Amino acid sequence: MTTASNLLAFVGLVVTLAIVWRQSWPGRLRLFAAQSLVLAALAATLGLLAARPRLLLVALVFLVVKAVVIPRVLRRIGAGMPVRPVTPGKSSGVALLVAGVLVVVAYAVMLPVKAATELPTEGAIPLAFAMALIGLFLCVTGRDAFGHILGFLVFENGIFGLALLATYGLPGIVEAGVFLDVLVIVLIMEAVVGEVRREHESIDEQRLRELRE
Amino acid sequence: MATLGFLAAVTVGVAATVLGLLGAVGRAWTLAVPWLVPLGGLELALDPLAGFFLALVGAAVIPASIYAIGYVGGERRGVLAYLGFVVAMCVVPLAANVMTFVIAWELMSLASYFLVLHDRQAGASARAAWVYAVMTHAGLACLLAGMLLLAAWTGSVRFADWSAAGPGLPAGARGLALVLLGLGFASKAGVIPLHVWLPLAHPAAPSHVSALMSGVMIKLGVYGLARASLDWLAPAPTWWGAAVLLAGTVSAVVGILYAVVERDLKRLLAFSSIENIGVILIGLGAGLVFRAVGLGALAVLAIAAALYHVVNHAAFKTLLFLGAGAVVHATGTRNMNRLGGLVKLMPWTAACFVLGAAAISALPPLNGFVSEWLLFQALLQNTRIARLELNLVFTLGLAGLALTSGLTLACFVKAAGITFLAVPRSDAAARAHEAAPSMRVAMILLCVVCALLGLGPTLVLPALAAIASPLVGGAPLPALGDWLTLRVSREFAALSPLALTTALAAALLAPVVLLRLAGAARGTRRYETWGCGRILQTARMEYTATAFSNPFKRVFDFFYRSEKRLDIDFHPESRFFVERIEYGNPTRPIFEDWLYRPVLSALSVVARRARAIQSGSANVYLAYILAALLVLLVLT
Repeated sequence: MTTASNLLAFVGLVVTLAIVWRQSWPGRLRLFAAQSLVLAALAATLGLLAARPRLLLVALVFLVVKAVVIPRVLRRIGAGMPVRPVTPGKSSGVALLVAGVLVVVAYAVMLPVKAATELPTEGAIPLAFAMALIGLFLCVTGRDAFGHILGFLVFENGIFGLALLATYGLPGIVEAGVFLDVLVIVLIMEAVVGEVRREHESIDEQRLRELRE
Repeated sequence: MATLGFLAAVTVGVAATVLGLLGAVGRAWTLAVPWLVPLGGLELALDPLAGFFLALVGAAVIPASIYAIGYVGGERRGVLAYLGFVVAMCVVPLAANVMTFVIAWELMSLASYFLVLHDRQAGASARAAWVYAVMTHAGLACLLAGMLLLAAWTGSVRFADWSAAGPGLPAGARGLALVLLGLGFASKAGVIPLHVWLPLAHPAAPSHVSALMSGVMIKLGVYGLARASLDWLAPAPTWWGAAVLLAGTVSAVVGILYAVVERDLKRLLAFSSIENIGVILIGLGAGLVFRAVGLGALAVLAIAAALYHVVNHAAFKTLLFLGAGAVVHATGTRNMNRLGGLVKLMPWTAACFVLGAAAISALPPLNGFVSEWLLFQALLQNTRIARLELNLVFTLGLAGLALTSGLTLACFVKAAGITFLAVPRSDAAARAHEAAPSMRVAMILLCVVCALLGLGPTLVLPALAAIASPLVGGAPLPALGDWLTLRVSREFAALSPLALTTALAAALLAPVVLLRLAGAARGTRRYETWGCGRILQTARMEYTATAFSNPFKRVFDFFYRSEKRLDIDFHPESRFFVERIEYGNPTRPIFEDWLYRPVLSALSVVARRARAIQSGSANVYLAYILAALLVLLVLT
């Protein structure tokens, strides 16, 4: 069980780092769907190995919401954008380095938590936390509204993974509420981004600065 | 509809007066509704001090609301805010825990804020309301800080527990709490230099509201000061009493100095309110010092004198604001240089205003005289304290009070004389009309109160001393003479208002009687007024408010720092012919220039610096969140 959870969390982190590395938005979107898939698999595995049938249901809902519905909405948000950033020559080297630092930070911060829990999944907790931190970092460095939303979703996935590994999932009602929240947030963001694009003909971060005054 | 609202306010006023008087004579009453608001629930308690201020609020609300019926003439806007204002003012003295007090205090501030904003078209009203809101909330912030500190130290939000736990707190903590609460209450009372909102807000509000704001709302600041230093944190240290006394002296002198050069009738009254708050604080401060050095009987005398002045100021300042309101209503202007001659057009208003002016100038036999006399007697006995620095403070207070008394007389000679005497200085003044009946009834009611308070101190003062006595640690009631004569500290001084009144009346009647006895001619000779030899006598030749106050401007030039602006247009042909001369002599406000402007500009510099972190970029804002999260995670 430890091996399975460690492996899946590791794969999730690798996918997350790949999101940081990729520059084209359809590619990042596919990677996000893949990350969601890995987390759903993690939930299902834990549900089977720890004999928690409720987690199987959670995994199913997660799969539908995060790997199917939300990527479709995100595709609608991104429609019409250039596939790669317009200004070439910017590599993701620095971003990957920062992400690496965040992984170290996550290990440093989660050591006391690791020591406190008795669950067999404790080894993967820092990995999930690193996923959350990297998601927030993606949110910070997002070049446009799409990047922000994607970063937020990765962050949310990381939190889900953390809850899964640290306590075998949140209580059902909380989990359901979080799923609904995320779905509603994404739908609202779609409407807002559409509105901003109609007003400013761009969702580029540099141009959104003009909204300040 | 509006009339019904004001009648409801009158009812509230009557109920508050009755309940307050019951409380003032010692009837206790409490009401607790724990579930109504969080943090302790609604809790009201009636004790003598609360009863005194409750009765004061009620008694001022009655005439102001009667007056309002005629003054607003059925306009519905503002009635609800007025009712809220009245009810909130009744609850403030009764509040027995932090939550109840803060809700009532804030409701009072908000309702009066809307009333100041009543005249929405005028830009001055908007600015006045803005300054008022800022100052009152700065005060509230200080109050909350002080109250929360006290609640944390004593572990209770009930005021009664504070009084019990107060003596056990360390001296530094008590001092800090006193300063914070003092700043908060002083900003509401309009103590210099926290007064800036007062001369803006009081003239901007409708007159019945100005009357209540000036007559009772700022007194609730005094109530708070008295409550904090005589009850919650009693016994207050000596330095605190001396500080209150000095703050009172500065307020009294500075307030009246501004009032005496003011041309706007209602602003003049507002500045005079600052002066009277100062006079009250002189008494309160003296009482605190007397108590701190262990002279209980003198403390009772000083505090009773201060409370007497609270009542008196509520009576005559309400009267004067109502009178000024009648003038503004009839002429549409508050500028005294455009008034004049109103005594013939509005004789009732003029008579009431002059009586109020005589009372505030402390002329016997009216009420202002009695309280200021008592205050002088209390201050003069400072020689019984054998500490030089305290004697010096008292001497400053005495000198300030004496100067204030003289300047008040000059100020109100000007206010009444320029407004009501001579020939109208504008068409608006010439077309003035007498006030509506309900307004006259309200003013006459207050005149009667002023006269009674002046004639009956032998009945009023013992009652006030009975309120003051438990506040200074149950000092024994000093003997205050019999029904005819007021005696202070046995043989220190004595005053018999009835005898004084009789003597004054006799002195006025004596020449008439003597002339009759000497066989003077009976008939009346009619002849035109001597016009100084001029053929034509117009309003432009009259003495104006500006001219009246010019000597004061010269004497106190170091304080007013007035600028002279002379603007002359010469005739194009020759410099010896002048087409137009304009002369201005504006004073420069000392506290705005030296205190508020530096503070405000420093604030805006800081704000501009702080704006650098507001880049407008979503990335940066998100980075703040990530950084804050990481810092918190690593630190904890």
